[in-house]
Amino acid sequence: MMAASTASTAILSLCRKSRHLMGFQTPNYVYTRVTYSTALSANTSKSNKGFPGRGNKGPSKRISKRENGEPRTERMAVDQDWTSVYPTAAPFKHATVPLPVRMGYPVKRGVPPEKKGNLELVKIPNFLHLTPAAIKKHCEALKPFCTEWPQALDSDAKCEEFFPIRLQSKDFVFAGTSLRNPQARVVTLTVKLSSLNLDDHAQKKLIKLVGERYNRDTDVLTLTAERCPLRKQNQDYAMYLLTVLYHESWKIEAWEEEKTLADMEEYSWEDSLSQRNVMDSLLRMRGAETGEAEGGARAELLASAEVQAYGESVSRIKNEGESESSVLQYREAVKRMLNL
Amino acid sequence: MRTSTSLPHIAPNQNGDVHTTNAVTERPKKPVQFLIMALHRLSLRLRQTVTQTRALHGSGRGQQLGSAAVEPELPVRSEHAIFRTTEGDPAHHSEQHLGQHYTLPPATVRTLFPQGLPPRFQLQVKTFNECSVMVREPAVEIISHLKRADYSKPAIRYLLYGERGTGKSLSLCHALNYCSNQGWVILHVPDAHLWVKNCSELLPSSFHSSRFDQPIQAVQWLRNFRVTNEHFLSKIKTTRRYVWNKRESTEEGQTLREIVEHGLSRVKNSSDVVGVVLRELRLQAGGPASSAGGPEEEKVEEGQGRFRLAVAVDGTNALWGQTTLKKEDKTPIAPEELTLAYNLKKMLKNDWCGGAIIAALSKTGSLFTPSSAYLPQELLGEEGFVSLEPFLPVPVPVYDEKEFESCYQYYIDRNWLQHEQSRTEEGKKEVIFLSNRNPAVLERLCASL
Repeated sequence: MMAASTASTAILSLCRKSRHLMGFQTPNYVYTRVTYSTALSANTSKSNKGFPGRGNKGPSKRISKRENGEPRTERMAVDQDWTSVYPTAAPFKHATVPLPVRMGYPVKRGVPPEKKGNLELVKIPNFLHLTPAAIKKHCEALKPFCTEWPQALDSDAKCEEFFPIRLQSKDFVFAGTSLRNPQARVVTLTVKLSSLNLDDHAQKKLIKLVGERYNRDTDVLTLTAERCPLRKQNQDYAMYLLTVLYHESWKIEAWEEEKTLADMEEYSWEDSLSQRNVMDSLLRMRGAETGEAEGGARAELLASAEVQAYGESVSRIKNEGESESSVLQYREAVKRMLNL
Repeated sequence: MRTSTSLPHIAPNQNGDVHTTNAVTERPKKPVQFLIMALHRLSLRLRQTVTQTRALHGSGRGQQLGSAAVEPELPVRSEHAIFRTTEGDPAHHSEQHLGQHYTLPPATVRTLFPQGLPPRFQLQVKTFNECSVMVREPAVEIISHLKRADYSKPAIRYLLYGERGTGKSLSLCHALNYCSNQGWVILHVPDAHLWVKNCSELLPSSFHSSRFDQPIQAVQWLRNFRVTNEHFLSKIKTTRRYVWNKRESTEEGQTLREIVEHGLSRVKNSSDVVGVVLRELRLQAGGPASSAGGPEEEKVEEGQGRFRLAVAVDGTNALWGQTTLKKEDKTPIAPEELTLAYNLKKMLKNDWCGGAIIAALSKTGSLFTPSSAYLPQELLGEEGFVSLEPFLPVPVPVYDEKEFESCYQYYIDRNWLQHEQSRTEEGKKEVIFLSNRNPAVLERLCASL
């Protein structure tokens, strides 16, 4: 079995044809059919007959073998069309390949055996059908079916902006009785969260819902669909998943009101217990004020740079984890806030 | 060598028999070589035993050595050595005294820290026959803050933190020495961890049914408190009537001494007495009209009710988190359910004026914490961190070059380093490498040198 996804992407890059389906960029899949005829035609049943059986007595009647003519390579023109000599993948044929190749173990300090009747050369895969000329011909043949690449999408950034959703799948080319490969049905959908229309709540909820499928560093959400037998079905399912996730994250359920501080994704100093403590003690330090005066003083204090710096330092300790430097930052913030 | 033969010491001779050395010398027929060989072995052995008698913190032998070492040292006591400072008052300690040792008079140690010094340091005090504390950056910083603070405002909380053995507790004691010299009321809890574990007697509280009393710890603390604040006990009056049980009560206007005495005599009430003492101190610290902010003299003149309060808690992190104590039904007790811890936590709130709260974290003895934890939030936990906020974290680092040199010279001066290699440059380098300039590790290392 040979995974030939690399080969198919090479072809893809040559004939870039884009199909726009439902507004999403979908890669163009080219199914390349490659078959190897591995069965050797040398040992046919007819020729077997000629050999004497073990229990046979008496002289066997030998059918006279047809004389082998001179190899085809002798008659080949120098400027012949090679792609018609090897149009598809085929095992090595010594009489057809006009190259003085040798391969195998050199007997008695000699040279490796020549190509004629050399099994080693037959065993190994060859790319005699994939010469540059052949590929050029392939592309020429495919060109009429391609559409022109849109002029507006001249950079990767623009591609990403207008077609944020990427669907990826693999094609497999291999020699076997079946063309299908179970891995070919797998579809991977990637999208940047920043390209979706989400507010703060929806984004946090979406991240919670998708769990490990979201990469925090690259901001990429990856959905992999492989539950259906066909690629098309999986592709639809991935799109369905994305749609459902999007709408579900915009909903605000009743139980979301019960979200406590411990459930928060990150620590926010605003309206926290720490903020209340600090404001209380700062107000107490300023002296008792009552009623509206207190509210005014509180707002004024909250807006002051020292208190804000303090809040930042506390958030840093909570969010980044405590370290020597974050504690020192906290210390400086406290010093400035309390005028020490 | 000749004198040593007179000692009754057992040495085997060539034949493998065991004789006392006296017996060997009494036998004239023994060939001379044998005798010499035996003597040689004996001297080797004696040398070994002599080096072994060098005491570490041993009990019996240490005393011998202590008494032997102190007498010759007193005359050669290096008062003006570079690692000492004659400035005994922490109020005058500043940057220029950093790294120098100052000596606390024994009387102060006895009253201020009846049991408040760290145990290893207590041993060192006993061994050196003096209480010398190095003036270090964290303590000096706290003292300078204490000097400048405005005591008409709520108390500021200072939190000493640092890796294990860096001297958090001693810095706390240094700061406390300043407070006591300034005539403050000292409320010192040497190790709060002892209140949340290994409690032999745990009684349901009579005052509040869901809480638990620890009479032994309470009595111990009250006793120390009485020793430390003898002077203030009769000056502070109660502000309300306290009923202990059907027959006994303390009327309003009684002195604090009576309450403390009551706690010491009625062990059952001692935990509540601690609560009452803390409450009275909290309410009366800084005076009833704290916002007025009267001058110093007025406070002194008024006598009662106007005093400053220093709350010093070592091992503060014990007050939040878990305890190892169990109720009767085997469920664990939270620190809030312990009367002592509950009342001490109230002292750590900054809703009272006229004082300061100095707390130190302690990994040693703490429960259910990873051994590498030393930062405030790691040890206090979220809850503890929030309830102490805003506090001023004061880092206590390991010795720097100067401080190490000072401590090293001090040990040499006290004849604490006796190994012949320990005074060489190489030996010093090795000690630095082994201890990584950590004070506690250094002290332990030097104990065997």
